[in-house]
Amino acid sequence: MTPAIEFSGITKFYRRRRFRSEKTAALSGVSFEVAQGEVCAFLGPNGAGKTTSMNILMGFIFPFSGRARVFGFQPGDVRAKKRIGFLPENFAFYRYLTAEKLLRFHLRLSGRQTPDPAGLITSLLTKVKLDSYKGLKIGKYSRGMMQRLGIAQALLGDPDLLVLDEPTSGLDPAGRKEVRDLILGLKAEGKTVFLSSHMLSEVEQVCDRVIIIDHGCVAGAGTMQQMLVENNQTEIVVDQLSAELETLLVEKGAQSLRETNRVRIICDSGLKRELTEALWANGCDVISLAPVRTSLEDTFLKLVGRTGGE
Amino acid sequence: MNIRIIATGALRSFLHNKVILLFGSLFVCVVLLMMTPLMTYKSMTNAANAQQMQGFVLSTVSGVMSLVSAFGSLLAAWAAADSVAGEMKSGTVLAVMARPLRRWEFLAGKFLGVLMLMAIYVTAMLGITILLSWLGGQHIQTSVWALLIYPLARYAMWAALAILFVTLVHPVLVMGIILIMMALVELFGSTSNHIAAWIRVPVHLVLPLTGLVSEDRFMVISRAPLKSFTWTSHLIALSYAADYALVCFLLAVFMFHRRELTRD
Repeated sequence: MTPAIEFSGITKFYRRRRFRSEKTAALSGVSFEVAQGEVCAFLGPNGAGKTTSMNILMGFIFPFSGRARVFGFQPGDVRAKKRIGFLPENFAFYRYLTAEKLLRFHLRLSGRQTPDPAGLITSLLTKVKLDSYKGLKIGKYSRGMMQRLGIAQALLGDPDLLVLDEPTSGLDPAGRKEVRDLILGLKAEGKTVFLSSHMLSEVEQVCDRVIIIDHGCVAGAGTMQQMLVENNQTEIVVDQLSAELETLLVEKGAQSLRETNRVRIICDSGLKRELTEALWANGCDVISLAPVRTSLEDTFLKLVGRTGGE
Repeated sequence: MNIRIIATGALRSFLHNKVILLFGSLFVCVVLLMMTPLMTYKSMTNAANAQQMQGFVLSTVSGVMSLVSAFGSLLAAWAAADSVAGEMKSGTVLAVMARPLRRWEFLAGKFLGVLMLMAIYVTAMLGITILLSWLGGQHIQTSVWALLIYPLARYAMWAALAILFVTLVHPVLVMGIILIMMALVELFGSTSNHIAAWIRVPVHLVLPLTGLVSEDRFMVISRAPLKSFTWTSHLIALSYAADYALVCFLLAVFMFHRRELTRD
């Protein structure tokens, strides 16, 4: 099946100043693929090249070199755009229009044929909880309401691929949860979602795959499972641990952490069977055994070489 | 279809644009203020001074028409430049261009929107001119179609030029260039015979020679017979305007196709 998104060796430079030849590399040989039906997060610190990549993907800006394809078409091709719903960062629209009129305008542009356009618009506004504000001019909307409206317009054309640049930006916790549920709903429908976000805990909950970009290069990519399992380690939790057994475990390369009512033992996954049997044999009650999972935030910070913050 | 949607959207945005509404209202007020001298001339006219009064009326109406034409050209250029640059500045262009819309369709829609605005302007101003002439006791003896099409052709030239420039530079700079070009058109229109051919010919190729599509060439506001102006002459003049606007528009499409769409 043709990948929904294909980036191969994409390089992009920006001029530092107009009419000067000095250039800054925004993207350096960025390559990745997003399969159809995947929910893929595109992460990176500020200025890493996320929005530049999304703009190339939408055909708004052009790469210096490399090949980009959306459903096999060149970015900006009308055939590709027919299948895309896009939410730009800091969504903006004509302030004098109402939400209803804006969506009607976008529906006409999207070319989607529907027997009941008014019904579709109302259902979308209800979905993003803006139905009670549909008569209000957009100029009077709050930041969060604008974001909700942006999401509604992205969904308007029943797209196969949703490109969302910071979809939860400006939303309250309830709004963020609604967006999460919306993405999960789209995933269930088999839609492809490509989103950038700084809300890593949310990304962790909804995405199948993660691409991390830093300084214009792909710093890491993989499935969410791969991203959350670190160094193939396993954590064994037991109720108690004798000093002799602890010494034995440490000799085998395991690490023990004593807590109030339990002891956590971290070892290589290859040793988990041997150590668990030894613990059982010595009368320890094994409470749990699970692969060590780091949070996406830990992985992200490790890959972008930061110890915290931006 | 897409062009029509963008055009109606552009027209709607013009009609919500406070700057256009403010300047438009002020302009209409100025034009209407010119009714006062016309009414005075009319009331003072008698058998002895009829000829002189007719001269006053004609010069007033002619002044109004020149004012309408100059303001219209500026309005067309400004509306065209702002309709593209405004979308870039606010970032609304990103959501629009994410739709299955080609770049040339976007520009064509904007251009058509400007022409729709100017059609409203031309119709309104023609109405005012006819009213002023009537108040002055004169009649415009020219076909209405020509008085609608000719200014529209001129405004199309300025709008296409502005759209071309705005794909390259800031809209304020565009208006500066347009003003300089308007001054040059006036200069080369009136003194072109005294300028060396090596300057005149290239300048004539570049500048929109709006004098060619001016109603002054055939319009008469009096009971005197119309100046002779054949259909071929109309066709040639209007073809020049259409050709000039088309070339500018195609150049704009070429530039816009390569322009990076980002929030300015």
